[in-house]
Amino acid sequence: MTNYIPTIGVEVHVELKTKTKIFSNSINGYGEMANSLTNVVDLGYPGTLPTLNEEVLNLAIKAATVLNCKIRRQMHFDRKNYFYPDNPKNYQITQFDTPIGYDGYVEIEVDGKTKKIEIEEMHIEEDTCKSTHRGTKTLLDFNRAGVPLIEIVTKPCMESSKEAKLYLEKLKELLFYCDISDCKMEEGSMRADANVSIRKSESDPFGTKCEIKNIGSISNVGLSIEKEIIRQQALLERGETFKEQTRRYDDKLGDTVLMRVKETGNDYRYFPEPDIPYLYVTDERIERVKEDIPMLPNERRKKYMDLGVSELNANKLVQNRSLSDYFNTLLEEKINFKIASNLLLGDIAAYLNKHEKNIENTTLTKERFIDLINNVDDGTLTSKNLKDILDTVLDNNLSIKEIIKESGIKNITDDGAIREIIIKIINDNPESVKDYKDGKDRAIKFLMGQVMKETKGSANPKIANEILTSELNK
Amino acid sequence: MKYLDKSIKEINELLKNKTIKPIDLVEEAFEKIEKNKDLNAYITLNKEQALKDAKELENIEVDNILFGLPIAVKDNIVTKDLLTTCASHILDNFTPIYDATVVEKLKEHHMIIIGKTNMDEFAMGSSSRTSYFGAPKNPWNKEKIAGGSSGGSATTIAAHDVLFALGSDTGGSIRQPASYCGIVGMKPTYGRVSRYGLVAFASSLDQIGPMTRNVYENAILLNAIVASDEKDLTSARKEKEDFTRLIGEQIRGMKIAVPNYFMSDIVDINIREKIEEIIKLLEQKGAVVDYIDVKYLENAVTLYQIIAMGEASSNLARFDGIRYGHAKENPESITDLYYGTRQEGFGQEVKRRIMVGSYLLSGENAKTYYNKALSIRDDMKKALEKVFEKYDLIIGPTTTTTAYNLTDSMDDPRKSFMDDVLVIPVNMAGLPGLNIPVGFSKDKMPIGMQIIGNAFEEAKMYKLASFIEKELNLDLNPFGGEKND
Repeated sequence: MTNYIPTIGVEVHVELKTKTKIFSNSINGYGEMANSLTNVVDLGYPGTLPTLNEEVLNLAIKAATVLNCKIRRQMHFDRKNYFYPDNPKNYQITQFDTPIGYDGYVEIEVDGKTKKIEIEEMHIEEDTCKSTHRGTKTLLDFNRAGVPLIEIVTKPCMESSKEAKLYLEKLKELLFYCDISDCKMEEGSMRADANVSIRKSESDPFGTKCEIKNIGSISNVGLSIEKEIIRQQALLERGETFKEQTRRYDDKLGDTVLMRVKETGNDYRYFPEPDIPYLYVTDERIERVKEDIPMLPNERRKKYMDLGVSELNANKLVQNRSLSDYFNTLLEEKINFKIASNLLLGDIAAYLNKHEKNIENTTLTKERFIDLINNVDDGTLTSKNLKDILDTVLDNNLSIKEIIKESGIKNITDDGAIREIIIKIINDNPESVKDYKDGKDRAIKFLMGQVMKETKGSANPKIANEILTSELNK
Repeated sequence: MKYLDKSIKEINELLKNKTIKPIDLVEEAFEKIEKNKDLNAYITLNKEQALKDAKELENIEVDNILFGLPIAVKDNIVTKDLLTTCASHILDNFTPIYDATVVEKLKEHHMIIIGKTNMDEFAMGSSSRTSYFGAPKNPWNKEKIAGGSSGGSATTIAAHDVLFALGSDTGGSIRQPASYCGIVGMKPTYGRVSRYGLVAFASSLDQIGPMTRNVYENAILLNAIVASDEKDLTSARKEKEDFTRLIGEQIRGMKIAVPNYFMSDIVDINIREKIEEIIKLLEQKGAVVDYIDVKYLENAVTLYQIIAMGEASSNLARFDGIRYGHAKENPESITDLYYGTRQEGFGQEVKRRIMVGSYLLSGENAKTYYNKALSIRDDMKKALEKVFEKYDLIIGPTTTTTAYNLTDSMDDPRKSFMDDVLVIPVNMAGLPGLNIPVGFSKDKMPIGMQIIGNAFEEAKMYKLASFIEKELNLDLNPFGGEKND
């Protein structure tokens, strides 16, 4: 079988996280009672006119910035005319001639190499309403009608399902990090279409493309592209041709299914939207929006690793935006970042999960956390101690010192008390002492174990070790 | 008791000193409307609610000059809980759940909506004969058209049923019927009056404006309806101003331009002669009047057809039978619902314009026609703006003929557009335009003069209009009776 080169382009619709809709003051919400978040504008009532939510423009500028797009300074909206029940005005307000962003890219790491996924354009538009088919009836929920979207279109520049998946993961991470969208594919706030074609050689023209619409998850994007490549290969190998078409991915079937063959000349009768004047984006506006962009994931990962955090932990932190933001407040401190990341991703994350809390909603101020890290770093707190006191640390305002004191850990860090226990253990284990004196290293480990057993694991191991050694050497 | 024949200032005094109550005005208006029923000026009367509103006003202080006055509203301006049909079968069961911004303004001024006036279906036409409810008649001669598309509003004002009406003007739809019916009609600068709640025909051209018996009352009503409206992004952000402020001033030194095209042989000779008389009068009174050439005026109708129909084809797409209005019964499929609803619901002229508009925006046509038209429109706008660098105002006839017979053929759409050849350039350039009656033809039909101002210079137009009105002192009541001032 000939080896074919796949060519893949991806179009992503992302719902913007705004308070209100793009062209009306209805709430932009998900999961509310059907048709409870609508007004006369969303319903396309006669006489209504669109207003423009400035928040949308700002988020779109933000997205264009993080996707390395050029930002258009003078633009307008266009009407895309087509009849469909989910399209209340029977035209959709979109940007056809003057997309707000163009010529951008997203960098992905494929097999250790950096690849730029080129973004053709990115534009603003309104979402349609949601239709549910019940037998012969179709129910319409206009809550989604007028929710702001950006559509991000790549060039046909990807060559594998892996690249497409990495691109989507990267895109999702960027948009989520910048509070542009919550990017929940399962709720439809991020929707992906993939265009797939194959050809024999780089020098050949692109093959006939098939568009797989509305794929529900990133893993399904990968699967559907793979299946589509196999399907197209089989057809070409049999010497068959096919027309440009729209397909969907059937999860149960595990394959793509034909929706419709594309007719030539889809005529949307685009023209400039006369109800919305031209928009002008100033440098000042772009600057203001840029100030609002947080440190991006790549930069975070690099910073964390430079500070001694393991690659695994760095990645884990970046995946948890709120922990990562919290971690960022510590970056200028002189602390052990390895311990800090272990604590956050270990016991603290477990506590937060269990209590369904955000770290901002605990009592762990930056100062107290630093205190905690230092107490672990110098051995004052063992990992067992930590487990014992963590709940108190996270839901109480007491200082770490006070918590340690109250929990009884204080006694065991006291030199005298440990020495007393150690002397008793030395006296009770003359054989081990002899072994030690004979140079057997295992003996000191055994004796330390006895110390920890006696102190129920709460002795400062560093101090205990020092005292044990000095007593044995007497 | 004929209070509605008095001047607005007199009526206001009578209300203030409690000689009369708003309900007297409302009852009188309905009596007159009933008497003039054959004029077919209204699609819907708001009798019950209007009487209730009038009663309620008895508990409120007279707080402005429009207080308690009945007003007729064109039926393409949405009114909450009051049928708004756009003179179309497709909306003949449509009761809006919100008020247009202008209607809110009327209510803030405690005006009383008396009813919704007849018009061309979706404002598409020049004689109001495309109305699903039959054409209104011209009070000066019931065999004649009232003009359009705001024919019902022009009729009810001319018949002296009420003092005030609102119309809308996309390509002359206020000024042309005002001219045919012998009343004052103003199309304000694009953006002056909010379009929120005006059922869109051609969004970049539509504008609501006042229609009244005289100039002063027109300016007063414009004062009331002008607003910067955040619900309309094309609404102009302007300071409040008093449009009556220049009324009564002398016109000495005013510089007035008359485009040669407006006085060419496209215009009936009798109308031209009447306008020439006015020009002489103005010159006598110290105004400077020059005949000038203005480029692109002759292209206006073509541009209008492309732009207005293109926009209309999109604006009227929402009438699909799904959410409101007429719907085909028991459709077999969604396509059947679309086709059936629109086939049954729209009249011939509306269908024709949707089809032409859709064609004009199809594929490459959008570039060839629509975008090209927009760019020539810009040039035309600049040409007119250039005139205002030297002149205060432009004048000319409003129409090429006086009102023609209701029975005249409707088969020549080109001809009906040519009726509007003098009024359309104003919409294309977004400028304000005003009609005032200046006399009568040999067959006793009103002749109108058009005054065109630079953007946002309505006050200057009212100044000239009121000067001419006073000089001419015409009797403008087709049924005789007392003359108003």
